[in-house]
Amino acid sequence: MENSAQKFDAQVLSRISSLKITAMNLVEGLLTGQHRSRHKGSSVEFAEYKDYSPGDEIRHIDWKMVGKTDKYHVKQFEQSTNLKCTILLDASGSMGYQSPLKEQHPKMGVARTLVAALSYLLLKQFDAVGLTLFNDKVVEHIPPRSKASHYQHILHGLANISPQGTTRIADVLGGMAERLPGRSMLILVSDFFVQNQDLQKSLKLLRSRGLEVILFHVLHPDEIHLPFEGDIFFESLEDDPTVGLDPKDIREEYQKTVQDHINSFKKDCNGLGVDYVFLDTSEPLDQALTYYLLKRKSLVKL
Amino acid sequence: MNLNFSSPLFLYGLLGITIPVLIHLLTRRQQKHIRFSAVYLLAQSQKRSIKKSRPNRLLLLLARCLAIILFSLALADPFFSFKQSEAFPSPTSIVFILDDSYSMGTQADKETLFDHALEFVVEGIARAPEKSEYSLVLASSPARIEQDWTSDKTVFEKILKAQSVSFRTTHIGHAVEQSIKLLDSAKQEKKKIFLLTDLDKNGWKEKAFAKVTAPYPVKVLNFSSLQSDDNKGMVKNVQISQEFLTQSRLLRVKAEIRNFSNTLSRRPLSLFLEGKIVKEELLDIPPGQTLAHEFSYPLRRNQPLDGKVHISDDSLTTDNSRYFSFHPSQNIKVLVVDGDPETISHQSESFYLERALNPFSVSLSHIDPTISTLAELPLRNLSDFSVVILANVRELSPGYELELEKFVLNGGALLFGMGDQVDPKYFNERLGNLLPVKLDSQHQVKEGAHLLLKNNSHPVMKVFSPKELEEMREINFYSMYTIQAREDKIFKVGTWFSNQSPAVIESSVGKGIVVLFLSSLDRDWNDFPIQPTFLPWIQRWTQYSARGLDSIFRQSLLVGESFRQNASSTDNNWIVRAPDGTLHILENEVFSNTFQPGIYHLFSLPSSETRIQKTLKKIPKDAEPAGTFTVNIDVQESETGKISQKEIEGFLEGMKIEIQKPHSQTTTPQTSDGIPLATPFLLMVAGMFLIEGWMVRKE
Repeated sequence: MENSAQKFDAQVLSRISSLKITAMNLVEGLLTGQHRSRHKGSSVEFAEYKDYSPGDEIRHIDWKMVGKTDKYHVKQFEQSTNLKCTILLDASGSMGYQSPLKEQHPKMGVARTLVAALSYLLLKQFDAVGLTLFNDKVVEHIPPRSKASHYQHILHGLANISPQGTTRIADVLGGMAERLPGRSMLILVSDFFVQNQDLQKSLKLLRSRGLEVILFHVLHPDEIHLPFEGDIFFESLEDDPTVGLDPKDIREEYQKTVQDHINSFKKDCNGLGVDYVFLDTSEPLDQALTYYLLKRKSLVKL
Repeated sequence: MNLNFSSPLFLYGLLGITIPVLIHLLTRRQQKHIRFSAVYLLAQSQKRSIKKSRPNRLLLLLARCLAIILFSLALADPFFSFKQSEAFPSPTSIVFILDDSYSMGTQADKETLFDHALEFVVEGIARAPEKSEYSLVLASSPARIEQDWTSDKTVFEKILKAQSVSFRTTHIGHAVEQSIKLLDSAKQEKKKIFLLTDLDKNGWKEKAFAKVTAPYPVKVLNFSSLQSDDNKGMVKNVQISQEFLTQSRLLRVKAEIRNFSNTLSRRPLSLFLEGKIVKEELLDIPPGQTLAHEFSYPLRRNQPLDGKVHISDDSLTTDNSRYFSFHPSQNIKVLVVDGDPETISHQSESFYLERALNPFSVSLSHIDPTISTLAELPLRNLSDFSVVILANVRELSPGYELELEKFVLNGGALLFGMGDQVDPKYFNERLGNLLPVKLDSQHQVKEGAHLLLKNNSHPVMKVFSPKELEEMREINFYSMYTIQAREDKIFKVGTWFSNQSPAVIESSVGKGIVVLFLSSLDRDWNDFPIQPTFLPWIQRWTQYSARGLDSIFRQSLLVGESFRQNASSTDNNWIVRAPDGTLHILENEVFSNTFQPGIYHLFSLPSSETRIQKTLKKIPKDAEPAGTFTVNIDVQESETGKISQKEIEGFLEGMKIEIQKPHSQTTTPQTSDGIPLATPFLLMVAGMFLIEGWMVRKE
């Protein structure tokens, strides 16, 4: 009852509508004249020949080639079915960061908009989209569907997020890897503020299952630049102990640490064939979406 | 085991820690709390940052405060003492024997030794544990219990603060005896005597300690160690005498000044009369010696004079003055005792003497003779007279010679005239203490001897003109007593006869004088009494011998001695005005409250008066001045000798004696009592500044 009541909360509803409008405007603007619909003919296309080996299906042997070359070749085809995409959104406490400074670019707000826009884009292309919210475990899971009405579910899921708890991406990904269908797409949206967790290993596992993975690394400018002044007690949004310091003293070191953090992600992702998109919440979302579209295009070409 | 400070005033420097605290508070930035996402990254950065050792401001504050605290402590010269800090660790019965003799009035810094002793006691009882009881014994003579046992510190402090240094001498033995009595009745098991004194030798007399045997511990605190300067000298004695000139008289004030120091002391000596300096002399007193100096002051009016002799002040002021009083208006009262009264008056000595001494009226000669027979003599009160003339007396009533001795010792004058009644045997045997010579035998000179008056320097003879002297030389003396000198006596021959035998012999006995005229005072042996020169001659001798007028009419006392009014005027009431102006009624003719040096004035009130009130605020109108008496300090107390520890231990045998300087017990303990800590503290200060500097540099 409580959940259903939350679902029809006036605030949630208004958030949904504004999210919908923002996402749609964003996507529609981007797609004008650029997007080629994948809906027209999704047929089996020839990819290559392969020497027959026992176990291969006999019906795939190209008998014409046997006639011509007296060798058994098996025809291989590219499967071009509709895409199944699961969006994993980090709903841990750290994602709820709101700057005490004047400039407000709420992290979760930006992440929501991003997820909504991506979902809209995907659904518009008749791809199936699912949404999983997690912190140290999966909080909410909306399975991928390609129906247009599914967008509402996703928006609901987004609107109901209240960031809390610690982040345990590795555990969540480990659990997800089993459930996700092979050769689908996984979009992971998080600030990746995780300690001592073998994220790389989890990504490797996903990749090994043939999943296309895109990481959206969302950070607030405060988290990048540490612009605060004075003696400050930094209380953690998750479960880290409070740290009291003057940011001036460690600003350079912090920025360097953050940059190292980002770079190490980039490097790891490159190594694993994972796409990494860094997203500063103070910058427009266009770039991120553009990147996604380009990625999609390249996928289509393949 | 405790921490003490030599200069605890510097501990006020601890207030200096407010400065860094204020700086800290003023420069402190407001601390904010921010909820942040990447706190663990902040922590990582902080660990890695070069500036991660940036000083905590609180640590910096702590370092600065510590530096100031250590610096203040170092200036206060701390030292660590292993001694028991409390004088009385458990409830104790304590008798404080406070030496309040006048030598405790010696200056030490700006206070007297007595003030220091009082402070010591006040501090001591403040530190003493609850349930302790205290009593106070004053050691000045006569030693007395000023406060019996009390546990109330406030009451005891009040009693202490009411005390002041007295003018009396010390009597430690009696005070210790009183203390032992007190301790015998004390409640607490632990008992102790604190003796606060200047260890003046005068207060320790062996006799007084004969009864003292008790096992109580005695702590002797020697306050003379605080003395900033020594007692350099004192006025030891003052004697006044008068000299009669033809028309007036001179007051002679002879003062003896003692120099206690080891160097020649040049000090001004002043004569005060009626509160004003009338004469001043600069004296050079040899080291350790007593110097006598005589002031002469002409008396122009016949009014009583009060005065004092004063030397410039030193550390002990009490003994720098000595008081005297003088009554020139009084007539010389002379008692003429006729040893051979005749029925024919002009054959008696008294006939000539009475006429010679008082030819017309008292107002002219100031001599008031009273004629007495030998039989009447014991009925007379000798202290009513200045001069007693014994003319041709055979022998005195048994024991009366002692009365005469007392009279002379107290300043009376005794004149003897010879005659046929005189019994040389009696004179030589019974009057040996008075007479400086032995009477030998009556010597007759048929052709007559004359007086040898070549040298007229004698004060009596100075007034005679050459013509009068010539007349005197012509007088024939047919008979006289010859004498033999006594070996142990000093005498002076005033006048000689032409046959080489002495005519007049004078000798000082005590404060008085004895004059022996070796011929008769009537016409039996000479023609002198009918000569015109006899009158001035006998008057001069009477006046001369009556020099100790003050002593004889009024008593000169020491502090604490009782004044006794003569019994002759028993009908009157007597009032005494003390030097501080307070009035006392004389009861039983004895006045004992003579504890203040100075001049006490005596007033008589007719007895017809209804009973006078016991407390008087002012002298009644009908009271008449009846003279004065002086009270001076007993100079024994001024003597600079101190008693040694060994002697004290001898006196207080069986008692546990500890002699200490007072400051090792009071607020300013000595560094020598413990391990000095100033240097380590200073080193720590330096260390703190180094740490502080390092922290600031890191910032």
